[in-house]
Amino acid sequence: MTIFLPLVGAIVLLALPRSGARFAHRVGITTSALTLLGALAMWWRGVGTGFSQIEEVAWIPSLGAAYRVGVDGISLPLIVLTAVLFLASFVFSAKIDERARSYVSLLLLLETASIGVFAALDMVLFYLFWEVTLVGMYFIIAGWGYAERQRAALTFFLYTLLGSLPLLLAILALYLGSEPRTFDMRVMIDAPPLTGLAAMLTLVALLVAFAIKTPVVPFHTWLPAAHVEAPTAGSVVLAGVLLKLGTYGLVRFALQMTPDAFRAAAPLVIVVAVVSALYGALAALAQTDLKRMVAYTSVNHMGYVVLGVAAAAVATDAGTRALALDGAVLQMVAHGLVTGALFLLVGMVQDRTGTREMGELGGLLGVVPLLGWSFVLAAFASLGLPGLAHFPAEFQVFLGAFGVYPLAAAFAVLGIVITAGLYLRAIQASFLGEPTERHVVMPDLGLREAWAVVPLLLLTILLGVAPRLVLDVIARAS
Amino acid sequence: MSVALVAVLAPLAAALSIASLRRAAPWLALLGAFASAAAAWATLRATAAGASFSASVEWLPAVRLRMDVDPLAALLSATVASVGLLVLVYAVGYMAGDRGTVRFYALMSLFLAAMQSLVMAGDWLLFLGSWELIALASYLLIGHGFARDEVGSAAGRAFLTTRAADVGLYLGVFVLFHETGTTAIGATVASGGAVGTLAGQLLLVAAAGKAAQVPFQGWLAAAMVGPTPVSALLHSATLVAAGVILVVRAFPLLPPGVLLVVGVLGGATAVVAGLTAIAQRDLKRLLAASTSSQLGLMLVGLGAGSLAAGAFHLVVHAAMKSALFLGAGVFQHERRSTEFRRLRGAGKEARWAFAAVAVAGLALAGVPPLGGFWSKDTVLAAAFGSPAAWLLAPLALIGSLLTAVYVARALRLVWTGDEGATKRAAVRERGGRGGRRAASVWMGVGLGGLAAAAAALGAFVAPIESILGHLPELATATVLGVVVASVGLAAGWLWSADTLLGRLRPWAESGFQVGAGLATFTTQPAFALAQAIDALDGVLHRAVVAGAANVLAVARRVSTADRVLHQLVEATAAAVLAMARVARSGDEHGIDAMIAALVRRTLAWGRASRTVQSGLVHQELVWAVGGTAALLALLSFVGFAPG
Repeated sequence: MTIFLPLVGAIVLLALPRSGARFAHRVGITTSALTLLGALAMWWRGVGTGFSQIEEVAWIPSLGAAYRVGVDGISLPLIVLTAVLFLASFVFSAKIDERARSYVSLLLLLETASIGVFAALDMVLFYLFWEVTLVGMYFIIAGWGYAERQRAALTFFLYTLLGSLPLLLAILALYLGSEPRTFDMRVMIDAPPLTGLAAMLTLVALLVAFAIKTPVVPFHTWLPAAHVEAPTAGSVVLAGVLLKLGTYGLVRFALQMTPDAFRAAAPLVIVVAVVSALYGALAALAQTDLKRMVAYTSVNHMGYVVLGVAAAAVATDAGTRALALDGAVLQMVAHGLVTGALFLLVGMVQDRTGTREMGELGGLLGVVPLLGWSFVLAAFASLGLPGLAHFPAEFQVFLGAFGVYPLAAAFAVLGIVITAGLYLRAIQASFLGEPTERHVVMPDLGLREAWAVVPLLLLTILLGVAPRLVLDVIARAS
Repeated sequence: MSVALVAVLAPLAAALSIASLRRAAPWLALLGAFASAAAAWATLRATAAGASFSASVEWLPAVRLRMDVDPLAALLSATVASVGLLVLVYAVGYMAGDRGTVRFYALMSLFLAAMQSLVMAGDWLLFLGSWELIALASYLLIGHGFARDEVGSAAGRAFLTTRAADVGLYLGVFVLFHETGTTAIGATVASGGAVGTLAGQLLLVAAAGKAAQVPFQGWLAAAMVGPTPVSALLHSATLVAAGVILVVRAFPLLPPGVLLVVGVLGGATAVVAGLTAIAQRDLKRLLAASTSSQLGLMLVGLGAGSLAAGAFHLVVHAAMKSALFLGAGVFQHERRSTEFRRLRGAGKEARWAFAAVAVAGLALAGVPPLGGFWSKDTVLAAAFGSPAAWLLAPLALIGSLLTAVYVARALRLVWTGDEGATKRAAVRERGGRGGRRAASVWMGVGLGGLAAAAAALGAFVAPIESILGHLPELATATVLGVVVASVGLAAGWLWSADTLLGRLRPWAESGFQVGAGLATFTTQPAFALAQAIDALDGVLHRAVVAGAANVLAVARRVSTADRVLHQLVEATAAAVLAMARVARSGDEHGIDAMIAALVRRTLAWGRASRTVQSGLVHQELVWAVGGTAALLALLSFVGFAPG
């Protein structure tokens, strides 16, 4: 299926050791384009209620583990998002000459693993793919990042590895609790195996694991560090895809496999989510480095996702639950597109000027209008303007959360003012006013850059105008 | 519905085609605005005759986007479309020679589309969406000349102030949805009681922010850095008017207590902004403050319980204020500034423009029989008729008085003064007049049309009343209104701002800022908090890294211990091996050697024994006995050997 297409590309590339950089990028782009076609074909085939397009191959029968994959309304949009973002990353990365073959292979491996996590229906398989994403990202940052990359990569790796341990424990607990014992996630979802204290302990382990990955305050500090040093495409994948693994896990495991425990713990999760959203927004407001700022807004936006999931966990009526969960999943997709575009654009600014400091930039809208207006569009999308992708998502999350915890929703809404403030400040400092003398002449969006970022922006508009294109798929699952 | 939809879609199509074609921008924008105006007027005619339009589409799974066009919505739509069209006509002249016209016309068209969608919105989600799109379009329009340094911050301030207040709109909508399960405006405003009070107050916060009411009035003056047609459109029929339209839409929801708050808020703004306007040294800033004060009067009308009074003044004000801004734009072209210092006598150079400004200004001041007289009269009558007349009526009268004062002052400053030298200089500076005349035709048509509307709207009181419902009337209010208008005009014409305001003037000029303005209480604490969070984040990250370092240190120690242990084990192993070697060498040199020696000796004995076999029986017997004995002895020795 589509999962292994990128891996095939990577193997082809590794099998041809003396191929040049151009060839490597061509393989990368072709493979990820084919993967996107595969993902779109999956979209076309659609999902019913529950899981569809299931493939099952015996693997370790004695343990009840098997190669089981399939999609539902929650994972399918994320798989398509992953394919879109990886293609954009490959297109944007086509300028990298340094060890291009390893770079492309790693990124392809990462793509297989990411799609694998979303499609896995077996906990062992899930864990396997989960760990592979970690390794892939570590090498991308450590190998192709900026000055402090080794340290950032190590921080990233240790931090998220720390999160893997509770995940493994939780998976084992779920396995041991199931009767007959199996790693089949569908069984866990249909009949959550654990109750009482066991369920609560498992939930705590899951929450810690996914809180680190998502990330939520106070487990987020690896994120800005990793983003600042990661190469542009690495940031796109990290923010656009890998963060979603955390919230996806939150839905798939915590919400669906330990629902009662989650309901009991939801007030705490909601507090953490709201604090995370506001903390991330305020921390972003204090940044002067564009990339760090965008990184912190991820903490804000992912806080809204967690808020939506937690609200869905407590909601007693189906309407509110659907509203909150739909909003949370749509928010994941929107964040992937918008933040992906923002990281690409910041990367372009850095490629041209050699800096990301707002103080050293200025007037770029007059110098590079296409790039500038793209940034303005992406920034307004990120601050939740109607007609762009984040608005329907956040509106539903707020509406759903308000039905359960009005006060939490009221605090969370304050976040949209802070994000508005920080993006306007960034636009004003970097793109408006007089251009600084060093940056009066520079090329506007090139063809490669346009092919990477424009599709993301178009999808942002499409999702903002017609959110039901995705919501109708999501709604099958929620 | 199709006709009403054209009013929204035509400007939207214009915006999209301008953005994609990047040519013929003014014509496409005019075409869109004209189609929109025609559709809006057709809709108004149809609804006035009793028809009603509505359409809806399911946008989110549980939420429908709805358009409902009642006569009130149609009237507002026609107002927006007409003002928009005339402002665009004017802009063709005003913006000629500007480099960013593609962007300008695309955004103006987008703005009109969003505004049309706002006035026709039948559900809160569409209302909210249009509301925010208006904010976006105005941000970009105010920021039109973004290369100038102050422009970006003014545009940002406008967007941010209104968005902060928008939290009220979001929460109000959440409350209403939570209570009623729908976002349809008609269904939600029927819910009264505590919900009405709570939601009403929340919505009022948003309305006050958008309509630049106290304490949010500051952003409007800063927003004057935008091109003058933008100011004319944003500050008459559209951006700020949206705040009043919100109150109009939520009107049935509001219980008497909240209505009183609306009225007092509006009255206070009318007074505060009126004083601010008198103190200004710049024509556009004066007009901006005037906008706040007039919107305040509309809220007085609404707060007094008369929807019709507020809406009527909204419609008439749109014509008056846009005409005044467009006139200011003509003077601005003449003198390249809107500061009164530079505008002295400009009215005598551009007499037709001054005439239009004078008509619109006197209408604003409430001089009969001009349009503003009628609408202000209904507002005053509503205030006198309200249960809280003791509070609202004086506020409304003072607001009207101040209006007349600042109108007269503006007219005096633009008409009088030593114009000779500046005029000649201006003529020399301008040079070629042909292009300017063409430009001035466009500008004249736009300005003239709006001024005529400002003057003549009074003639349409009857049809407007048939749309809006009963317009309050009160003889006392009319008399008092005319008196304060005359007194105010006289005072403004005769006395300077310093005489009128005395020591209050500097404070009034700053818009009655407390401290460094609203920013002292909002943005600055927010930034301080952000810095604190950032510092905290640094501490958190260092703590985590330090924690990791500690873990690493422990790991190193464990590793060292491990190495020592390993060495111990290896040493032990080596010792054992050595012992084993000793044992083996013992084996080799002991047993093996012994056996070899035994073999050698046996062989030697065998050879020796040959000599013994002589064939003699007695001799052999002796050897056999002796040999057997020796063999037995040997065997017994070997049998007990260690092995």
